[in-house]
Amino acid sequence: MSASPTIRRSPASSSRDPQSAKNFDRLYKDHVDLIYRFAHRLCGEPEAAKDLVQETFLNAYRGFDRFRGDAQISTWLYTIASRACRRMRRRRKGAPERELSLEEFIPTSDGEFRLQIPIDGLSPEEALQNKELRHALDAAIDQLPKKYKMVLVLRDMEGVSAKEVGTIMGLNERAVKSRLHRARLFVRRQLSARGLGEPLIDHNHDSRG
Amino acid sequence: MAQRSASKRKRQASTTGQPHTHGKSRCLRILRQLSAYIDDELSTNICQEIRQHLGACPNCETFVMSLRQTVSLCRHSPAPTLSTADRALMREKILKTASSR
Repeated sequence: MSASPTIRRSPASSSRDPQSAKNFDRLYKDHVDLIYRFAHRLCGEPEAAKDLVQETFLNAYRGFDRFRGDAQISTWLYTIASRACRRMRRRRKGAPERELSLEEFIPTSDGEFRLQIPIDGLSPEEALQNKELRHALDAAIDQLPKKYKMVLVLRDMEGVSAKEVGTIMGLNERAVKSRLHRARLFVRRQLSARGLGEPLIDHNHDSRG
Repeated sequence: MAQRSASKRKRQASTTGQPHTHGKSRCLRILRQLSAYIDDELSTNICQEIRQHLGACPNCETFVMSLRQTVSLCRHSPAPTLSTADRALMREKILKTASSR
């Protein structure tokens, strides 16, 4: 992830003055795509993602004077977005979050140990051109309990370091890594056990000869 | 290099009919550390121990390969994008809400 630009603020700036509006525009322009990508991966669909982006930047606009500049701006925005996401979820009052235990991912037979994701010989980019695999991956991530999903999205999709994920979610690094491992085991099991047994032949991509 | 050939020899042994003799407990201990292993966060000694185990245990070798593939697929998953119109519309809505309160 590239370093975010520094936005200069005068200590006396309020959230209503022209300098603030200019700073906001720059913040928005530089980071809206990043936060939308994150929001879409968390929410799984565009409309909820747009709501989350708006909530995030509204809170950033209001809290801009409190940004101390000791973190990357992207980390600060991810933190605001992850809190906004938790608040939006609480409002929807879904089923309580389920814990993933390591034990549930322990294979019980040799066959289960050796389940494979059928992408042999294909690069990840090539494999993901297969719609069935892409949908299976999206569905697996979507089925993750939210606190595991947020760690997986930040770490393995957004490329944020474990330490930064800890800062964003208010967790220590050990907890981040523990959740990440369970999340990956969950997605691996979903992908390998979904009956994607046939080799992935990409009908739109036959340059491989 | 020496480790790699030792691992290769073990793998060959395991695929030429030599039984998979160790108990499952070792596989389970390895399984708990596989994310740290593929993220290269473990000490040299533990990595070496895991590599040796993988060379001798086709089950764990397949398992780690599928876990690596999972991470790789997540990393390469296509990024959703916003249209220019949506970007502008959201900016307007944010500024309007901010100034109305």
